Amino acid sequence: MHNIFGGLAQGVIYSLVALSLVIIWQSTHVLNFAQGAMGMFATYIGMTEIDRGLGYWWCVVLSVLVGMALGGATERVLIRPLYGKPEINPIVVMVGFLGVLEALAAAIWTSTTRNITEPFSQIYYQSHGHLVFLSPFVIFQILLAMGIMLTIAALFRFTKLGLQLRASALAPEVSRLLGVRVSRMLTIGWILSAGVGAIAAVIVASGSFGLFPTNMDGIFVAGFIAAAVGGLESPIGAVAGGLLIGLAEQFILAYWSPNVAPLGGIIILVVALMIRPQGLFSKNVSRRV
Amino acid sequence: MSWWTTLIKQETTRSRVLAVTLLTLLTLAITFILPPVADSELAGGAAIAIVILGLSWLIGWSGQISLGNSGFMAVGAYAAGIWAHHHTTTPLLFTFVLAIVAGGLSGLVIAIPSTRLRGPYLAGMTLAFSAAITPLAQNFTSVTGGEGGLFLNSLVTPHWFTNLFSGPNAAIDANAQWTADLAVVVAGVMFFIMANLFHSRVGRAMRLVRDNEVAAELMGVHLSRTRTMAFVIAAAFAGLGGALYSLLEASVRPETFPLTLSITLLTLMVLGGIGTLSGAVLGGIIFSFSATLVAHVNSLTGVNPTSNVGANMQGIIFGVLLIVTMLFAPRGLVSVKNPLRRLFRARPLMRSAKEVH
Amino acid sequence: MIQVEQLSVNYGAVRALRDVSFDAPTGQITAVLGANGAGKTTLLRTISGLVTPQRGRIRLGDVELVGVATENIARLGVGHVPEGRGVIEELTVEENLRLGALSSKVNLSEGLDEQYARFPVLGERRKRHCSTLSGGERQMLAMARALIAKPRVLLLDEPSLGLAPQVTAQLMKSIRQLCDSQRLTVVLVEQNAKSALRIAHQAVVLHLGSVVASGDAATVAADEDLRRYYLGVVVP
Repeated sequence: MHNIFGGLAQGVIYSLVALSLVIIWQSTHVLNFAQGAMGMFATYIGMTEIDRGLGYWWCVVLSVLVGMALGGATERVLIRPLYGKPEINPIVVMVGFLGVLEALAAAIWTSTTRNITEPFSQIYYQSHGHLVFLSPFVIFQILLAMGIMLTIAALFRFTKLGLQLRASALAPEVSRLLGVRVSRMLTIGWILSAGVGAIAAVIVASGSFGLFPTNMDGIFVAGFIAAAVGGLESPIGAVAGGLLIGLAEQFILAYWSPNVAPLGGIIILVVALMIRPQGLFSKNVSRRV
Repeated sequence: MSWWTTLIKQETTRSRVLAVTLLTLLTLAITFILPPVADSELAGGAAIAIVILGLSWLIGWSGQISLGNSGFMAVGAYAAGIWAHHHTTTPLLFTFVLAIVAGGLSGLVIAIPSTRLRGPYLAGMTLAFSAAITPLAQNFTSVTGGEGGLFLNSLVTPHWFTNLFSGPNAAIDANAQWTADLAVVVAGVMFFIMANLFHSRVGRAMRLVRDNEVAAELMGVHLSRTRTMAFVIAAAFAGLGGALYSLLEASVRPETFPLTLSITLLTLMVLGGIGTLSGAVLGGIIFSFSATLVAHVNSLTGVNPTSNVGANMQGIIFGVLLIVTMLFAPRGLVSVKNPLRRLFRARPLMRSAKEVH
Repeated sequence: MIQVEQLSVNYGAVRALRDVSFDAPTGQITAVLGANGAGKTTLLRTISGLVTPQRGRIRLGDVELVGVATENIARLGVGHVPEGRGVIEELTVEENLRLGALSSKVNLSEGLDEQYARFPVLGERRKRHCSTLSGGERQMLAMARALIAKPRVLLLDEPSLGLAPQVTAQLMKSIRQLCDSQRLTVVLVEQNAKSALRIAHQAVVLHLGSVVASGDAATVAADEDLRRYYLGVVVP
């Protein structure tokens, strides 16, 4: 398999999206269908500053900050009123939000693809005259994504905040009885999730795919499938799921036909669910969502 | 009073025939009054109403959320379109049946993995399906005509009809009128079918499965078969609606069925009222005049319709409408005594129920 | 001191609490007794702010508690061990304790040491996930978690539930010791009236949401009618 790196590189992006979905799911039981679009929107706001002369890295920081703010605002304004209502309502609201963000982005910045001036070269290395599908950008992509995931994991595992976040998700009432400001934790969960999503969007936009309003659609779907395959309860599962899908896509591209690639995600999802309906990594016995 | 109530509730077949016939005739009459442009829009709305019927069935009466209906529309449209493109003299009825069958089959395929899923998993699965459709259509160029799509010429206005019109634009006017009337009649037939389905054993079983799985199983209702049936029906309706829509557009192209169409369908359904026949009608009407509506908003706010903002105004408006409706009036504009709460099996978002020893 | 005044709570048409009034004096154990469904748990949950009353007041010292958010009531020094203990299974023993200490100004390592000294079993199991704990151990953990924050008030909801009689007896003794040594105000909800009355100073008996008796624990314990009709204790 010659393009393992390509698969991994794409896979870590899916892992990031999957992770951001799992964070929100664990804390508020909402599947944020607008996750990709929010990241895209934040990237637009951050990256357009490049035109005004702001350096690439500052733009990245800006995009992430905007993304986090967007996440927090979304939880407060759109999701909070829906606590206690039927499960379907926030799904529909997020789908609507997805539509608004994409249309708004096209309205403000047009649908033309923008290519960000790359911080790293995207030219593949060569080894013994053969192309190794590895470029500085690919390395950057993989390292950044892994770095973020490890940071998040450490945050949840070792910090006071992380403990409170986990407790608020696992047992909100008991946590309140212990003095934890659970509603604040929920907002923070959304903020973190949106930040992770924004990084994924920044990476996608900086790469050869480019920045355009619907660029995160396919990636969101793959990220969702990764989370579903891993079981929405498990961050590790989400990460593993993302890598799995990235690699599987390369497999399909190499050994089947590129035309079928759009179906790759579905195929994987179907197979995974048939093997283990509760997700490959989840501890629950039955998936009664 | 009871005559009227029977008509509305459509509990007997006779009252259903009557109600649908009346509504169809009324709408046909309207098409004769409207200018040709409005007729075309109405026609589009009729096609969409058919799709919404199916979607309402799936989400409203069987309780399964699906974001995949634009995909089912595409399947029906392409199946019918590819055939019609190569066999231009096919009778229209055959094309429609083909669309229904193709749609239904795709519904079956998607249903197999999906009926085990709930809530967000199901939504995500159907999302994946409709997101894959446009790229697939673009990829298999030889079959689907790729980006450019296929040209369809099946909705030919018969001569006797054209002769009813006079004036410089007689042919065009007649065509617009004819296609609109055709669409309305087809929609009327589908409404009739749907009303019958609702009151049939299938419909009752579906609602039972939605509301109370345990009771349903005790009564011998096969859970996953019923749910699969719901998908098939919804997809069949969507397939027909998609085919009709493409025929009206005289072409079937990948860009007709983007992911955002699923969002639009959802919005229209929610606005009209989930799980109601009249809601589907309302949704279709709103769709018909959404272009006009958007134009009005554009002129009100002074936006240039060809600018970026103007072109995307529809997406923005629909998205905002969906959000606002779900936040403030989830039952939609049609207030109906629907057991909506039981429908979606309310579970608290914060899992305070899951307290642990 | 906790003062409950004319507290009424409705769940829709069901009146869970009707005009409940009593005082829980500082440094004493007030037992709240009654059969299932009498409203005991609702009472504690209302004090903690998880339930909003339709009428009535609850005072902690001179602070009005009705209308205050649960997490803030906890931060005021009200420790509540809920029905079922509320031990978070997916976390370890130590994580549960850390959680308890988070919102208070207590020094974490000192607090941990203190609780491990008081409950050595917990010290042995500190890194284990709580799903592996027995009923008695969970009760200890739930208490330690509430105590680590050095509360002024302790609300205990059926701590003896599911525990063997010897364990219950031991538990009750510890509660009394804690109350005495730390001058806690304890509101003890129990179905097991006998063991509760042994350690309590005051008692309140609820029946279908209303107070049917209150006063000195010994007096309540001695009242035969009370015991027979409301406390389910068979008079020999």
